[in-house]
Amino acid sequence: MRIHQWVRGLLTALSATALLAGLPPRGTAAQPQADTASVARGAVAWANSCDRCHNMREPAEFRDDQWRAIMAHMRVRAGLTGQETRDILAFLQASNSPAQQPSAPVAPIPTAPTTGVHPGKAVYTQTCLACHGADGKGALPGVPDLTRANGPLAKSDAELIRSITAGVQRPGAPLAMPPKGGNPNLTETDIRQVLDYMRQAFGR
Amino acid sequence: MEAMTTRTAALLALGLALGKPAAADETELQALKAEVNALRQELAELRAQIKTTNPTAAQAPVATPAAQLSQQPIPQVTPAPPEWQTATSVSHLAGYAAVGYTDRDNGTGAFNVANFNPIFHFLYNDLLLWEAELEIAVQENGETELNLEYTTLDLFLNDYLTLSGGKFLSPLGQFRQNLHPAWINKLPSVPPGFGHDGAAPQAEIGLQARGAVPLGQMKANYAVYVGNGPELEAEDGELHGVETEGFARDADGSKVWGGRIGVLPLTKLEIGLSAATGDAAVATEAGREPSRAYDVWGADFAYRWHNLDLRGEFIQQRIGDQPASIAPAGGTWRAWYVQGAYRFFSPRWEGVLRYGDFTSPRASQAQRQWALGLNYLFAPNVIAKLAYEFNDGLPGTPLDANRWLGQLAYGF
Repeated sequence: MRIHQWVRGLLTALSATALLAGLPPRGTAAQPQADTASVARGAVAWANSCDRCHNMREPAEFRDDQWRAIMAHMRVRAGLTGQETRDILAFLQASNSPAQQPSAPVAPIPTAPTTGVHPGKAVYTQTCLACHGADGKGALPGVPDLTRANGPLAKSDAELIRSITAGVQRPGAPLAMPPKGGNPNLTETDIRQVLDYMRQAFGR
Repeated sequence: MEAMTTRTAALLALGLALGKPAAADETELQALKAEVNALRQELAELRAQIKTTNPTAAQAPVATPAAQLSQQPIPQVTPAPPEWQTATSVSHLAGYAAVGYTDRDNGTGAFNVANFNPIFHFLYNDLLLWEAELEIAVQENGETELNLEYTTLDLFLNDYLTLSGGKFLSPLGQFRQNLHPAWINKLPSVPPGFGHDGAAPQAEIGLQARGAVPLGQMKANYAVYVGNGPELEAEDGELHGVETEGFARDADGSKVWGGRIGVLPLTKLEIGLSAATGDAAVATEAGREPSRAYDVWGADFAYRWHNLDLRGEFIQQRIGDQPASIAPAGGTWRAWYVQGAYRFFSPRWEGVLRYGDFTSPRASQAQRQWALGLNYLFAPNVIAKLAYEFNDGLPGTPLDANRWLGQLAYGF
């Protein structure tokens, strides 16, 4: 049986579907001020898409502009949508952004009231949940389990605040946490509150 | 105000000093008073006007130029955006390189892998990407072989569609287009039938449309192409193989159409189906051979669960009979493999197990193989591999000999 006609029909249908999407040409470059949601989506897409064929690279391995060319290549080769490509690029570039280390002595974290919604929960949901998961056990390969007794939350506040602020790459982990979780808008108060929330929600 | 009063007094004194008659003096005095009042009113209006436009300046002392400079507000300076955000074009050199050693049973071990595959990326305005890969490798006889693996212009039409033209890796199946680079392939060797002159097409010259579309919570990717198609190798009245390196001529005079659809029902699971159809012909110096049917189909899957990576692939190329040809009988080249890999010890070490089977009309090409490997990842892109293959091929040929393989690969 010849499948010539079937393939031609398939080609026509797919091309028409894609063209009828009606979107103007859009590039791969992330916006200079990529939004937090794009960075979070990018972290997930990076873990899901890249790890299927090869190990994920360290985001700091290449400059932002080099990632731009690489992601254009991977968009073609790995079957990524334009939005996925921009999200991954936003994540990589956010991971590359240098963050200022907290220079002042770390003050005690104000304990949130035990009633009502913890103010750090909104920060966690917006910035951390995509990788760490709603249960804190990690939604992606290489993301540590925050609920483990001797896990990351066993470290001191000062060390964790430094890691959140500047980003962290665990040895051997395929995925680096970008500075401020990829959200440059996080304030010091946000970081303290989200750490307090994580301790209350996942700590042991 | 004080200056005005003084001026008025001076005028009055001047008038008296001139000694004019009293009537005339009275008239002049009234005129001068009116003039003084007008000047006073004018001065008051000017002050009010200055106070309205700049309240502080009206009362401020006269400033020197230096003081004026020091009091000027410092304008906010916005840092210029990085060059990568504003550059029209971006270039990047990627690629991979590998060195390797093979020791076949009843043979002599040799360093037999030394290759360098630079990949060039030039991106224009996030609209057009030119990419090309060279393969530079040392042959057994010491000569250096240079091949153009692919060179394509990729035009990003929208978020879901990219048009590519040029020489591209065959989109049929997954091994050739995604897994063959040494730093990605988890074993030092390719599965039987997935190398040159095997069952899996290698490359094509033509046009290709590819992209991905979200399907609710799922996703699909696709690639469809039209190209010149393969050429057939014949000798002594038999077909010896299907050459699929990508030809810049069309020996059979008709194009090959094909493509692949991949569906991801889960983010870590991809299932793909491939097909192609067209004509092929034996390439001869004497002239055009009669064309014959050429059909390909394949299926593949890839699944990742934590540190476990599973994948498998089946593909076949079928050539129809052609009684008028110098090699009348057609044939089918078929290959498949399944592979499991597991990373352990956080996660620098990786164990690999693969089984592959290749069948061919030529018995000397067929091979079954078990391959067992152990990898160490110095970095995600720097991998040392050690593997042992249990091979079952035509007795007395290299395809039947078991062998050790070692390889160091670097993707850059």
